[in-house]
Amino acid sequence: MSATPVTAPGRDTTRTVPWSDAFRAIFELALNGMIWTRRSLLMGALLGLPVLFAVLYRVVLVAKLPAQMTGFDLYGVIVALYVLRNALPLAALFYAVSLVADEVEGRTITYLLTRPVPRSAVLLGKFAAYLATTVGLLLPATVVTFFLLVTAQGAAGLHAAVPHLFRDLGAMAMGLAAYGALFTLMGVLLRRPVIPGLLFLYVWELLAHLPGYLPRFTISAYLRSLVTHRPPDEGLMEVFGQALPVGLSLLSLTAMAVVFLAAAVWIFSRREYVLEQ
Amino acid sequence: MSGAIEFVRASRWYGPVIALNDVTVTVGPGVTGLLGPNGAGKSTFLKLAAGQLAPSQGEVRLLGKPAWGSPEIFHRAGLCPEADAFWDNLSGFEFLMALLRLTGYGEAECRQRTEAALEQVDLMAARHRRVGGYSKGMRQRVKLAQALAHDPEVLLLDEPLSGMDPVNRRRIVDLVKRLAKAGRTVLVSSHILHEVEAMTRRVLLINNGRILAEGDVREIRDLMDQHPHTVSVRARDPRAIARAVVDHDHVLSLSFGAEGSWLTVQTARPDEFYGALLEIAESAGLEEMFAPDEDLGSVFHYLVPR
Amino acid sequence: MPIYDQGYRRYEARGPLRTLRFWPITREALRLVLSRRAFLGLLAVGWLPFVVRVIQIYIVTRFPEAGRVLPVDGRLFGEYLNTQIGLALFLTIFGGAGLIANDLRTGAILVYLSRPLTRRDYVLGKLSVLLALNASVTLVPALLLYGIGLALAPEQYMTWSLWWIGPAIVLHATLICVSISLLSLAVSSLTKSARIAGLGFFGLFVGLEMARGVLRNIFDVRGATLLSIQADLRGIGSALFGVTPSRFDLVDWPAAALVLLLVAAGCLLLLRSRVRAVEIVR
Repeated sequence: MSATPVTAPGRDTTRTVPWSDAFRAIFELALNGMIWTRRSLLMGALLGLPVLFAVLYRVVLVAKLPAQMTGFDLYGVIVALYVLRNALPLAALFYAVSLVADEVEGRTITYLLTRPVPRSAVLLGKFAAYLATTVGLLLPATVVTFFLLVTAQGAAGLHAAVPHLFRDLGAMAMGLAAYGALFTLMGVLLRRPVIPGLLFLYVWELLAHLPGYLPRFTISAYLRSLVTHRPPDEGLMEVFGQALPVGLSLLSLTAMAVVFLAAAVWIFSRREYVLEQ
Repeated sequence: MSGAIEFVRASRWYGPVIALNDVTVTVGPGVTGLLGPNGAGKSTFLKLAAGQLAPSQGEVRLLGKPAWGSPEIFHRAGLCPEADAFWDNLSGFEFLMALLRLTGYGEAECRQRTEAALEQVDLMAARHRRVGGYSKGMRQRVKLAQALAHDPEVLLLDEPLSGMDPVNRRRIVDLVKRLAKAGRTVLVSSHILHEVEAMTRRVLLINNGRILAEGDVREIRDLMDQHPHTVSVRARDPRAIARAVVDHDHVLSLSFGAEGSWLTVQTARPDEFYGALLEIAESAGLEEMFAPDEDLGSVFHYLVPR
Repeated sequence: MPIYDQGYRRYEARGPLRTLRFWPITREALRLVLSRRAFLGLLAVGWLPFVVRVIQIYIVTRFPEAGRVLPVDGRLFGEYLNTQIGLALFLTIFGGAGLIANDLRTGAILVYLSRPLTRRDYVLGKLSVLLALNASVTLVPALLLYGIGLALAPEQYMTWSLWWIGPAIVLHATLICVSISLLSLAVSSLTKSARIAGLGFFGLFVGLEMARGVLRNIFDVRGATLLSIQADLRGIGSALFGVTPSRFDLVDWPAAALVLLLVAAGCLLLLRSRVRAVEIVR
């Protein structure tokens, strides 16, 4: 160590580190902590279950598919009923509520808050890492599932189905962003966000199946409207389920993601983190 | 008043509990020990200084800027927290690299500084091992390394020697003293008195959220009139010394040791006593002298009621 | 001698080995969980179906014709316990997800195992917490419901043909409590975060339900129902209480029992490997 403090040439110590540099450094650090962990293994299993199923289908079940269904229909059921309604929101809850809570519990938040970086870069960098991880786990699994299921009986309908795949991938990315932003806000706001998060997913989101304007207060209603899959025999849910305009859905999901994230950043920037001794 | 760390009538409370009460203090270059029993307010003081908490009242400034809400000051300040917490999946090297990147250094400089800091705390051999597998002492050293790596002007050290073996303690104490000599401001928080005594004689004593005393240990001791100083001398003829000083009004009591060669004197004005002792030292055969209550422990003990 | 030796004297007596060594673990964990108001609220919600069933029994007692629409024979208890499975899951996530995970994170497991406690005592102590929580919304209210049935409608329940209700309640409730508790504890031992354990536990059920749903509903693979722990429990309950399950919940109860046994064995093996005083970090 030098006898007197040395400031590297060109380094401005009167301001924080440039936002983009801080964001990138946090993103890399957070991403490192998310991938190759047992947690991601568990999430990978949850999100990769459709792939397992698709393999099983190709190997064993293809002959048992009802005549009125195609591989694409089966893929649609998985996307609409499993991915969009369960796996995706759970993955968002799994990672997003923990963005700050993990650092506080692990007491490593002190290191992040005693660096010359803006707090907004800390939270947004971690959010970006969450998005990269979940998108990296979910989207490839969806693509593989799509190809395994749709081509099971030949590649005839593949060309027509591919645009739907891209649409689904886009919807998933939007869903991860919107749910992630909401759960990030919950994670910053609440001490125990898991149960409220689950209640939101499995109680509040039921509003999506009601008539009138109520579905517009949910995320799943907009997500459903972005995809074209309408799974058979949803029963009473199908009677009331409504498809909202695509443009409105895109705008609403984007707005929700932005507003929730902005609120989370605002709260995080002002909150004191007093670690229990 | 100007110093690297300034508290101006700063208070902090948590609900109805006042953790720090109307504190006005300045910490300048050199090593300052922040001392107090458990629950005295040392952690709150340090957290306020490190910008982790906002004062409920008053001001806390670090390097001239408000400590809370000024992350840019951490280019020039470093904190070694007390908590034994790391991202366990990272190696010591990766840990420091990640934090140096957050301080705005380029890749090459990060590497250079990481290696220098790890060298300084003797962790180069273990730098590629995961921090989760380090011993307690190694984890403490890597924590210290991350506080030092960016050459800060101000160092805030919370129990820096916790878990270290004697060899590494010595090394870190020497390092801290070198930093202070180079003009850095080092604030060391501890409740282990001899650790702080090894590093500095300048202390900030805190108890129940209030500053009890501030400054050189000796000066503080001298100001404590209600606790007379105790001086023990060993001489060939201790009674001759006793006869020479018994008439002085600052001598409050005299007692002889069991073997007969020791004399313990309680005096209100030790400097006058030493002056008187000098005159009789040769003829009385003075061999040894020490003041058992001039140390930090005694000062602490007198100031902090049990 | 007039002055007695005040030096160290070895304590020769041997204390008795307590068979309930694990009890302090259970007691303290329960105290912690029950001190949370939100949890007590969840518990209160878990008793609402009990209130509904009591009303059902009362209505049928007053208006026997209603018994055709609202049966109050053994099926009542089977249906009641089957609906409580979902509540037990929620309760387990809330109250028990972090039982082992928190100890692994804080290193408290070392403190436990440095006492005269074996790993078995530790697991038993933690398991008992979950068993108590789950029993509070399954076994206890079901037995209470039976007791109320006996009191309100003795002519209905005090018959030889329905003597089996009590033992069936105990058996089914115990099966529910043990299965869910073991699974939750096993998942909790896999991670150091209570949050991840809770969500992972929930995700496990969601994933298995999805697999069952697709295989059963679309491909009509009957054996797929066995994939769902909830369906297995409901299947055994239906067989015990004579409840007619839905077409998609049809499951052979011996196969379901075997699946639950295998799951329990797997959980115990996992706990055996994960519950250790120290973690080796490579």
